[in-house]
Amino acid sequence: MIRKLVLPSIFAVLAYGFWLSSDFKEIAAGVAIFLFGMLALEEGFKAFTGGLLEKLLKTTTNKLWKSLSFGVVSTTIMQSSSLVSVITISFLSAGLISLTAGVGIIFGANLGTTTGAWLVAGLGLKVKISTYAMPMLVFGVILIFQKSKELKGIGYVLAGLGFLFLGIHHMKEGFEAFKDTIDLTAYAVSGYGGVFLFTLIGLFATVVMQSSHATLVLIITALSAQQITYENALALAIGANIGTTITAILGSLSANVEGRRLAGAHLIFNAATGLVAIAFIYQLTSLVDFASSLLGIAEDNYTLKLAVFHTIFNTIGVLLMLPFISRMVVFLETTLKSELTPHASKPRYLNKAAFELPDTALAAVRQETLHLYDNAAKIIAGGLSLELKDIHSDCTMDEIILKSRKALAVDIDQQYQDTVKNLYGAIVDYISLAQGELSSEQTEELFRLRAAGRDIVEAIKDTKHLQKNLSSYISADNPYIQHEYDTIRIRLASVLRELHRVRSRGDDSAIILSLDRLKLDMEEYDQNLNNSLSSLIRKKLISAPMSVSLMNDSGYAYDVTRNLVQMGEVLFSNSELKLKEAERSLSLDEDEVSDVIEQQKTLKEERL
Amino acid sequence: MNIKKVIRRTEAYLNSDERKRKEKKKYLKQVIRKLRQHEKALKMELENSQSPEQSKQLKKDILLAYSQRKKGINLLKGLKKKSKK
Repeated sequence: MIRKLVLPSIFAVLAYGFWLSSDFKEIAAGVAIFLFGMLALEEGFKAFTGGLLEKLLKTTTNKLWKSLSFGVVSTTIMQSSSLVSVITISFLSAGLISLTAGVGIIFGANLGTTTGAWLVAGLGLKVKISTYAMPMLVFGVILIFQKSKELKGIGYVLAGLGFLFLGIHHMKEGFEAFKDTIDLTAYAVSGYGGVFLFTLIGLFATVVMQSSHATLVLIITALSAQQITYENALALAIGANIGTTITAILGSLSANVEGRRLAGAHLIFNAATGLVAIAFIYQLTSLVDFASSLLGIAEDNYTLKLAVFHTIFNTIGVLLMLPFISRMVVFLETTLKSELTPHASKPRYLNKAAFELPDTALAAVRQETLHLYDNAAKIIAGGLSLELKDIHSDCTMDEIILKSRKALAVDIDQQYQDTVKNLYGAIVDYISLAQGELSSEQTEELFRLRAAGRDIVEAIKDTKHLQKNLSSYISADNPYIQHEYDTIRIRLASVLRELHRVRSRGDDSAIILSLDRLKLDMEEYDQNLNNSLSSLIRKKLISAPMSVSLMNDSGYAYDVTRNLVQMGEVLFSNSELKLKEAERSLSLDEDEVSDVIEQQKTLKEERL
Repeated sequence: MNIKKVIRRTEAYLNSDERKRKEKKKYLKQVIRKLRQHEKALKMELENSQSPEQSKQLKKDILLAYSQRKKGINLLKGLKKKSKK
């Protein structure tokens, strides 16, 4: 009920305000234009994230100081700490970064956001900013209509900046004109009461506008027009800093537990910094005066002094909280608990927060498909009557096979139902929802990931066909058929081992392409089997039904290998999309694999 | 640079097919370089290898990397030919 009343009430209050004062209308329009500029800016930056994001994140967030710098730089460029925090939550939800790195980025974003105050107070109020806005808007809008994604992105960024400048101009004009009719400083409240009251107002304004940057610009323009006192402006800035966490909290509602933990860290940081700033507001003011005199800022230049205050109090916050990052992470992990033993069939990375950027959506699907493979690898190993941990160990394949002579009672159908089917269904569902704003390359990648999921499922089904004969023949009395089935087990276990090795080494194109060797090995095995099979039948060492089973099952083993290699080439490469495409174009097809085998034979003959 | 050359280059840049080809070439070259390094590393390993089984595997890996690299070079040549046309 209250929710339904909020929007009409805001509309009514604004309409009444517009009717009362045209200056108020200009200020409000300024804020609206400013916020629209921020939306355009966000849209523009999203266009530039394609492909490079994962790589950039890996190299820029592996150490705390790097995450901090990433937060500072990205917020300075994007001029929105809220956007950076929402994007960080989506990174975290997609499993691209750790919680500590995420917290580092958020802390950095709090420092980066202070550059906004400097830009507006130092530049925006001194020059006639609207003269820059007009050409930016014209060029920006022309570029938005271009086909190229990059030009479109530049267009949105230019138009966004143009709208930001135009918004600041209107706010400034509005407050200047307002000054002649009403003196808002008459409502100034001094002392701690004022500090609390204006902190709350700043908080509320930021929650409504969902942008501390917009609140801060509003504060600075009002302060420059002397419509609020310096003391109250400081309190408003503190409130804005606390209020900005609401965007992160809203963003985390659709995220997984990691995302919620990060929003928690954001809230703790901003609330703690705010409380410290309120408690020591008078000491901080003296510190700002001292720093301003050092920087050569005039005694009465309150707008720049506000920028100094904003920087000092956020820096103090970072310095205070930095030593406690690991403790904060532990605290958040214990308070916001993830499911103790998440069911293997439950998706871990597929959440709406990852939809924020096309790259995070792709990363979430990739991670979840890897999770699907982990579940499938256990089933396939079980189907071969082997333990996955043995396959991944350093033991030789002969040792492992010797150790596992007894067939394991693995119900592949049941395990498929329990750990694969629902998860695969969730991935397919998520992919169909994620297709909205993707480029053609990203959509293709999404389809390839879906195909990788299908390859995994196919591999399980082929293993199931293989399992029946394999289970009986590995302990058969006939040593010849036993040996042939053990060879199949060794072949497939080697495939799983090689996939594990490539996955852990990953990220190098040559390593990913080395998976083709598995195709080569399988092709060779297939040719060798044909020869040995004829010999075994001729010498009556195996019966006719045994030979039929062996032929069929070697076909299944061949298909399992083909499907898993195909899957590995898509799933294990963590490169950007265009590099992945180049990798794929060099992977050998069946005919080329046969050619390599022929070459191998020729080389051997030449040596002989 | 004369004006005709500038116009030709601008046309080539604005032509999205050409831009895509250029990008493709860039990434293909990257992968080929990686494969060459991998091949070299494998050859070094082969020189130091004592076990016949390992040597056999390494030879296979070298031949594979070589075939993939050759495939890449042929693709690159094809792209270059298309660009010239």
